[in-house]
Amino acid sequence: MNRVLFNIDREVLDQIHTNSLELLKESGIRFPNQEALEIFKRHGFKIDGEMVFFQQKDIEKALETIPETFELHARNTANSFLIGDDSYRMAPGYGPPFIIETSGEMRPALLADTQKFCKLVQTSKALDFNSSIVAQPNDVPPQTAHLDMLLSTILLTDKPIMGSTSSKACAQDSLELAKMIWGNTDKAVMLSLVDSLSPLQYAQKSVEALLVYARAKQPLLIHSSCSMGSSGPITIAGSLVISNACSLAGICLTQLVNPGTPIVYGLGGSPTDMRTGGYVNASPEDAKHTAIVTALGHYYHIPCRSQGALTESFCLDYQAGMESSMMLTTAALSGAHVCLHACGTYGSMLAMSFEKFLADEDLCCAIKKLVKPIEFSKENFAMDMIKRLGTSGNYLLEQHTADRCRSEFFIPDLNIRNIHSKWVKMEPRNMDQRASQLLKKRLSAYEKPDIDPSIERDLIKYVENKK
Amino acid sequence: MAISDILNAVVELDRIAVVENVKTAIIDGVPFDDILNKGLIASMDVVGERFSNGDIFVPEMLQAAKAMQAGLEVLKPHLTCDVLTQKGTVIIGTVKGDLHDIGKNLVSMMVEGAGFNVVDLGVDVDIEKFVSLTQTHNADVVCLSALLTTTMPTMAKIVEAFKESGLKAKIIIGGAPVTDAYARQIGADGFSDNAPGAVELIRRLIAA
Repeated sequence: MNRVLFNIDREVLDQIHTNSLELLKESGIRFPNQEALEIFKRHGFKIDGEMVFFQQKDIEKALETIPETFELHARNTANSFLIGDDSYRMAPGYGPPFIIETSGEMRPALLADTQKFCKLVQTSKALDFNSSIVAQPNDVPPQTAHLDMLLSTILLTDKPIMGSTSSKACAQDSLELAKMIWGNTDKAVMLSLVDSLSPLQYAQKSVEALLVYARAKQPLLIHSSCSMGSSGPITIAGSLVISNACSLAGICLTQLVNPGTPIVYGLGGSPTDMRTGGYVNASPEDAKHTAIVTALGHYYHIPCRSQGALTESFCLDYQAGMESSMMLTTAALSGAHVCLHACGTYGSMLAMSFEKFLADEDLCCAIKKLVKPIEFSKENFAMDMIKRLGTSGNYLLEQHTADRCRSEFFIPDLNIRNIHSKWVKMEPRNMDQRASQLLKKRLSAYEKPDIDPSIERDLIKYVENKK
Repeated sequence: MAISDILNAVVELDRIAVVENVKTAIIDGVPFDDILNKGLIASMDVVGERFSNGDIFVPEMLQAAKAMQAGLEVLKPHLTCDVLTQKGTVIIGTVKGDLHDIGKNLVSMMVEGAGFNVVDLGVDVDIEKFVSLTQTHNADVVCLSALLTTTMPTMAKIVEAFKESGLKAKIIIGGAPVTDAYARQIGADGFSDNAPGAVELIRRLIAA
C-alpha cells in the first residue's frame, strides 16, 4: 500500500521550490554567527553583513549529499530504527514549561515530571524515541537544565534520544554525554532540532548548535515555521515559501560543514489568531502545511518531520481529540517519517499532561495501524476457509482467527468499546480519570533499563561537575 | 466638523478621512487638546474595547492605530511637547536572549495609541539598557516581554536591578509562558496576557 495518500501536484512543488530559490537569491537569510559566515564566505557565497545569499546550484549540491535514510541508534540496539523508510517514528512533547492537571490547574513543570514522562516513553508502545525536553523543568537552574533532562532521558530510557540545541555549550554537553555511551562514533546516536527564526533568519545560538552537531555528523532536524499573518504571510503559499527558503538555507550550511550529515526536513505554519495575536496550532491550516511539507520532503528525497497530536484545548475533551487526530492523521497519510509532539501536549504546546499523553498513545497506535501496509497474501485472503465455511460459518471458532486475534486489530488501552449497560456502571467513566488510573499502573510497572554501572557513574559525574 | 467624525474615522480604519477630519477640525478652531483627547485617543479606547470584545481583529486594530497616528502627525506641530509626554512615558522591550517580538509590538502600538510616549527598545535587550534608558527618559512604566522559559529569569533580574538602582518606575511583564503568579513571585507590579489589558494596567499604575 502506498502510504502517501494525499497527492500534491508536482507543478505546485516546483513552484514552491522555485519561489524559495528566488527568496534565497534575492532576499537572503540572516545568519548572525561569525563562524557560519566564515564558512559561507569560504565557499564563495555572496554575503552582505549577516545576510547570506544562495544560488540554485548551492542548494542543489547540498540536497545531493543528504542521505535518503539513516539509522538512529539507541543505547539498547533493539530500539534502533531507520528514519526515512515507510515507518512513522514518534517522540513525545518537546519544550512545554507547564503541566496541566485533571483539575484544570496549570503549574510549572518540575524535573520529577520530566522523569515521569521518561518512564512513560520507555514503556510506550507508541513512541519510538524520546524528546530532549519532554517538559522544561522550572525547579532547576535554566543554565544547566539541559544536563538534568539529558541525564534523565539517557538513564530512564534506552530508546534513541535527542540532543539539546539551546546553545553551543548545550550541544557540546549533549555530545560529551553521548561519547560516554558510544565512544567517538560517526553513527547517528542523537537527533537534534534546530529551528529557524521567522522571517528569513536563524538565531545565533541555534546556528552555534547546528555547527557543533554537523561537525560531529550527528543528524539534525532543520525546522522552520512561521506564525501566519504575523511572522510570515497570512497565506499558506507564502508561508510555505518563506519557511522552505529558511530550512533549505540551514540544510545547506550543514552540508557545507560536513557533507552527508543526516537531515530530517521540516516546515510548519500556524495561523495567528486574528482576534488575539496569539499563536494557534492544530488548525486545518497546520494540517494542510503538514501535507504539503511532507510532499516537499519526498520531492527533495529527505526524511521529513510532521507536527504531532497538537491541540489548543486544555483538557481531554472533544476539541483535544478532534484537533490531535486531524493533525496526526493528515501527517501519517501524507507520508511523514518523524513526528515530534506525538503525545501529551495541550494549549499550543505550552503545557504537558500525563492524561493527554496516555490518550495520545492510543491515537498514535491507531495511526500506526492505519498506515501499516495491508498484506494481500494467500493466508490473508483465506480463500480456502471462506469457501469451506460458506454461509453458516462461525469464524470465531477458526484457528485462523485465534492466531491473529491479538495482532490483527488495533486494541486501545483507554478508548472504550463497551456496551451501554456496562458503560453506565463503569467507575471511573471519564477518560481523564481512566487515564489517571492507567498512569499509576504504568508507573508502577516501570523498570529502569540496564546500563553499565561505570558508564552511569561517568554520566552522573559529568553532569555534577558541570553544575 | 464634529470630534466624533475623527473618532469614527479611526474606528472605521479610514486613514485618509482621519487626516482630512483633523485638518478640518484645526481650521474650524476646535481646541487641539480636544482633537487629541476626545478624538484620537478616545478612538483608540473604542477600538481597544471592541478588540477586547472580539468584534475587531488584530490587523484591524493595527490599521486603526496607524490611522490614529496619521491624524496625530497632522496635529503634532500644533501641540506642545508636554501634551504628548504628560500622560506618561513607557519603555518596552523583549528581554536579553529572547528574539520574539510579535506580542511586544502589539502592546507597543496599543500603548502608543492610548497617547503614552513609548520608547521601544526592540528585542534581546540588556538589563543595563533597561535601567539606563528608564533613567534617561524618566519612564513611568517598563514593559518586559519574554516567550522563552529560559529567558523569563531575566525579568526577575531586571526587577532586582531596578530596586538596586533605586528606580521607581513600575515594571509589568507579559509573554506566552508568563503568568500572574510569576509576576507576583518576582516582585513585578503587574501582568497582562493581552495588549488592551496592558494599556489598562499602565493607566491604573500611572494614575495610582
